Amino acid sequence: MSEEPIIRVENVTFAYNAESENPIVALREVNLEIYRGDYLVIVGHNGSGKSTLAKHFNALLTPTQGDVWVEGMNTKDPRHTLDIRRTVGMVFQIPDNQIVATIVEQDVAFGPENLGIPPDEIARRVEWALEVTELKPFRHRAPHLLSAGQKQRVAIAGIIAMKPDVIVLDESTAMLDPVGRESVLAAVRRLNQEEGITVVAITHFMHEATEGNRVIVMEAGRIIMEGTPREVFSHVEELRDLMLDVPQPTEVSYELHKLVPDFPPNLLTVQEVVEEVCRRDGRAP
Amino acid sequence: MTSANEPIIQVNDLHHRYLRGTPLEVVALKGVTMEIYPGEAVGIIGRTGAGKSTIVQHFNGLIRPRERGKVIVDGMDLADPDIDIRALRQKVGLVFQYPEQQLFERYVGDDVAFGPLKMGLPMDEVRERVREAMEMVGLGFEEFKDRYTFSLSGGEMRKAAMAGVLALRPKILILDESTSGVDPRSRKELLSRIDYLHRTRGLTVIFVSPNMEDMAGLVDRIYVIDDGRTVMSGTTREIFSQPEKLVQHGLGIPQITEIVHELGRRGKVPPTTVLTVQEGKEVLWKILNSSGT
Repeated sequence: MSEEPIIRVENVTFAYNAESENPIVALREVNLEIYRGDYLVIVGHNGSGKSTLAKHFNALLTPTQGDVWVEGMNTKDPRHTLDIRRTVGMVFQIPDNQIVATIVEQDVAFGPENLGIPPDEIARRVEWALEVTELKPFRHRAPHLLSAGQKQRVAIAGIIAMKPDVIVLDESTAMLDPVGRESVLAAVRRLNQEEGITVVAITHFMHEATEGNRVIVMEAGRIIMEGTPREVFSHVEELRDLMLDVPQPTEVSYELHKLVPDFPPNLLTVQEVVEEVCRRDGRAP
Repeated sequence: MTSANEPIIQVNDLHHRYLRGTPLEVVALKGVTMEIYPGEAVGIIGRTGAGKSTIVQHFNGLIRPRERGKVIVDGMDLADPDIDIRALRQKVGLVFQYPEQQLFERYVGDDVAFGPLKMGLPMDEVRERVREAMEMVGLGFEEFKDRYTFSLSGGEMRKAAMAGVLALRPKILILDESTSGVDPRSRKELLSRIDYLHRTRGLTVIFVSPNMEDMAGLVDRIYVIDDGRTVMSGTTREIFSQPEKLVQHGLGIPQITEIVHELGRRGKVPPTTVLTVQEGKEVLWKILNSSGT
């Protein structure tokens, strides 16, 4: 690809307590390029290094060895830290820790206010952010009285109001119920597809990995698989060995493939499995 | 004392308000009814804020029924101020959503031993129980007893908290979303260990979660709670066979269940509710076979 990656991770090794006698190595020689418009999903167990990697994308952590470049800026250079954090916004697992104001729209305005953006522009951005996250009906409500999914969308709205090029979601759906999770995923999908924001999502829900155009699997500080969701999930046995879940539609299509060799082994969604079965059933014996 | 055919937990038309009588009053429960029998594994599901945690916090006396409704646990009426609350808490072990917040001792072994020590058990008995509880959750006693509690990983902390509860040898174990936010490997390990205890020791398990996939393999029956009320109850299969109703209550069904339901709607199979990928595979295999592929 000739286009410059928006984030480039070059040979990054990271150790917590690097100076101490017992450093804990969390990342080992990781290389990764993220391009504008990507929806990259990072999966792996607790302790596999996925959150540590994500924290390198906006200079919350900097490499012990190697370099991370965000739009050509090295995250190790403190002069760039502010610009990098404007480029890459982070949303965490527990939205309550990220919400600061007592009214939804004030919370969304908090970030852009701190960036010193003129008031009429702030107002426009808040409108837009509330629109994309479907929070307009709740704009005058108190965030702590919203549902968990709504709160998480407030946190996302607060981040996107700063107009980052990249948004990183660190297990932002882990604590949500199915409806809350779907509402957050829908908002993220819109941000990626309609607003062109690059998305990096960390999750251990495998069916969420099918949302992305690229998936990487991490284990013990390394990237051990990389590809489109369909490529990655066709490695059913390896994922099982890692005790990672495979989405149920993929698992059943893989099992059927073992019985019916020309049945595709790597279907991703409920819809794909249903269509495939119906198509074959239509074929008269 | 209860016999096997009497419920070990009985909840009848339970109501609860938080901050009762203040301007901030919140009505949490508006009529919950359920019965749980000794040795059962029962799921309580519902969207965030439905009242699930408020219900189970009644079961070990963290919240006492003071309004309408009754809670009877192993023969004790929890509205009675004179019941032995310590005896109740030995019977009913509750593991919270963030079990790591239940840890407080410096060393893992001491943390697990805290409950049995408070019961006034002799030291060798305490040690035996700690060993047993740690092994049950998959924390090797020798390897972990002298570790610093706060050097554990998130998954290990949850196991340690669970061991602390199991060391009391409860008759009833309640897991209140104790596995959300845990990675798949630790979650599977914990769930299979709980399932084992349930099957081999007759432990009564109450499992609270918004996640239907977790429920599918683990529980026999499910109560669905919404807006402070019991809105559905039945066997796991009965509950999963009503996806439209579940969606109304903010819940979903496992994707494999959905696949087979959709094929049923399209007339490819008689209406069937499957719970696991294995069951789903059998159904799809039959369809493919009958069409000659």
